[in-house]
This record gives sequence, C-alpha cells and structure tokens, in this order.
Amino acid sequence: MAQTNPPFMSGVPELLLLRLLEQKEMYGYELVRSIRKVTGEAISLGEGVIYPALHGLERNGALKSRRKAVAGRTRVYYGLTAKGRKRLAKLADDWRRVQGGIESALGAPAHA
Amino acid sequence: MPRLNVAALRNELLRAGISPTHVRRTLTELNEHFEDLVDERLIAGCDRDEAEQQALQSLGPMTDVATAMLDQPQLKSWAWRWPRVAVVVYPLACVAALPVVPLIVGVEHAESITRWTLGLLLAALVTATMFLVLQLAITLT
Repeated sequence: MAQTNPPFMSGVPELLLLRLLEQKEMYGYELVRSIRKVTGEAISLGEGVIYPALHGLERNGALKSRRKAVAGRTRVYYGLTAKGRKRLAKLADDWRRVQGGIESALGAPAHA
Repeated sequence: MPRLNVAALRNELLRAGISPTHVRRTLTELNEHFEDLVDERLIAGCDRDEAEQQALQSLGPMTDVATAMLDQPQLKSWAWRWPRVAVVVYPLACVAALPVVPLIVGVEHAESITRWTLGLLLAALVTATMFLVLQLAITLT
C-alpha cells in the first residue's frame, strides 16, 4: 500500500467543513444546518464542537474569518483559503481512496 | 429557566492556556448559535423554556467543546507554546512599558507625568550613583 490513512474517520468533519466552505462563506449555525442537509442527517454532532474545529482550521491557514453584523448579531463568517483548497483536494482524494477500498472489500467474497 | 452558562468553559479554557482571543470568540459564537437555535424553536411553536432547553441539548455539553479545544495545541497562547521565550519577553516588555504607560494613560496630564517620571528616573540614577560610589569606596579601601 502506497499510503496510510491517518485522517480516515477523524478527518470527516474537516472534509465536510472545507467542502461546504468551498462553495460560499458561512457562519457556524449555517454550517451545522448545511452539514445536516447535505448528509441527509446521517452525520449529526454536538453543534458546539464545530467552533473548535473551525478555529483549528483557521489557525492552520485553511480558513479565514471575518466578522459581520447581521440583524443585531455578530456573525463570524468563514471562507476557504488557497491552502484550504489544497487541503480539501488532498482529503477528498484520501477519502475516495478509502471509500474505494472499502467498497471493493464489501463487494469481495468473504474468506475464512 | 435554562440558559447557556459559559463561565465554567471560559475558566477551563483560560486555565488550560487557550489563547484569550480564541476563548472570547468561541464564547461569542456559542452565544450567537444558542440564540439562533432558540429562535428556530420559537418559530416552530415551542415556548421559551422549552426552546432554550432544546437549544442547550443541540449545542451539546460544554465539556465536549472544552475537550475539542484542548485537543488542538495550535489554539494555545504563544506563552504556553513557548514558555521560555515568554519568561524573557514578558519582563522586558514590562520594563520597556514602565516609562511609556503613564504617558499613554494620562495624555491630559502628560507634562506632569513626564516631570514625575523624569524625577523618579533622576532619583534612581542618584541612588545608583551613590551605591556605585560606596562600592568603589569599599573596594579601594
């Protein structure tokens, strides 16, 4: 095997966040709603933990943020950076590779 | 009435060395998120108590948020990541700030403050000179 799969399941929230933010800037609450929608509610998380994930990605340079006042509330909008796009491409490749491997394993006849 | 209580989370994160900037922003975002969830439930027909209770459940335990923050060392303040540098930089910054801070704080009375600061520096210089003379006297006799 050429590569290992360190991100595997632990990389799923990161992959989803980067993928959604690739399309448009969003704030936390909006992102949680979008994750539910695009995954058909297959992935649900304690909504509060999205912020540590976003801050970590921003700190690593994958996201940038800006504050915006909307209807008397302060929204922190997150958007993807060039580094974030590269990270997304890598995570998506890793995920497809893992998905392909699992699909072929599930399709193969079981051995004793 | 159930309300979002972030005081314990703030203390835990700060004690663990998470950067104050990240702590402040996380708490603001959690509060805004909570209000959005409450609004969503109110629109769906819940009364306020019920809406807040459900919003708290959706947000999840604050201990989970703390754990997720603490799992990311890059969110720690620089003084926690490089304690040896902080030990050198903080005292130097304080010493450098001493003559400047009174001027910044008391712009209205800058002249008086400058006079007092110069007086204090002069007094310190005189004292240091006296100690030097005493030391020389002791050494030479």
